[in-house]
Amino acid sequence: MLPTNCPSCQAQLKVKCLKCENCQTEVNGSYDLPLLALLPESEQQFILRFVINSGSLKEMASELKLSYPTVRNMLNDIINKINTNEK
Amino acid sequence: MFNPFTRIAGWQAFGLGLVFLILSGVIGGFGNVVFDGVIDTHLVKQLTMLQSFSYIAISLLSLVLVMWIAGLFIAKGFRFIDILGTMTLSKAPFLLLAFAGYFAKMPDMTEVMKNPMIIFNSISMVLFMILSIPVLVWSITLMYNALKISCGVSGGKLTIAFIAGILFAETISKLLIYFLL
Repeated sequence: MLPTNCPSCQAQLKVKCLKCENCQTEVNGSYDLPLLALLPESEQQFILRFVINSGSLKEMASELKLSYPTVRNMLNDIINKINTNEK
Repeated sequence: MFNPFTRIAGWQAFGLGLVFLILSGVIGGFGNVVFDGVIDTHLVKQLTMLQSFSYIAISLLSLVLVMWIAGLFIAKGFRFIDILGTMTLSKAPFLLLAFAGYFAKMPDMTEVMKNPMIIFNSISMVLFMILSIPVLVWSITLMYNALKISCGVSGGKLTIAFIAGILFAETISKLLIYFLL
């Protein structure tokens, strides 16, 4: 799991370096983490399953063995987190 | 036990809830147990099957309609069927009272009016009254979680809407029972 917060002060981390495994080239800078990477792993998995299920909450509910409103509430929580992170 | 709605809601909950309500209506009809309000249960001298189911239908409709309106005030994008299903299932614990009432022996009301303490002479009646407290708490908790899951809200907004909803639903059910039955 990609760390997103500083272990010392809990501030949001930035990407400083990216490396090509093929030619060993390193790209340095200060890049923001993608919005989805800021979410906990369970929520990233949820989004992945949601896309695989063609955005069908009914399919998601059936797959997760949860009720439709519970799955919709989980999605709403993720949307709220993404909106907060965007700001 | 207190929040089955994370796993069951909508038509599934409505179907299961209806089974519990029909059983409550039949057993209540035979045992003279009347569900005359959203959170009311009483023992009566005589009760027909039609009356038993009419009381249940009125109390359920009052609860569902008021909670749906309460939901419209605090949330958006929720489904009516989730409110209908989860609220129907949240009345399932009343089946226990229908069973208990079936075996409870109701004392003569004229005697009770003279001496209310006589009611404690009937052990089955006392057990019915004692059982009604946890059943009510269980059912109200289920109703709260039904609104919470169906509308996807929490906190003070949910609590205020729920308390107001229960009070309104109880009042409306009592008025409908008074005017229609």
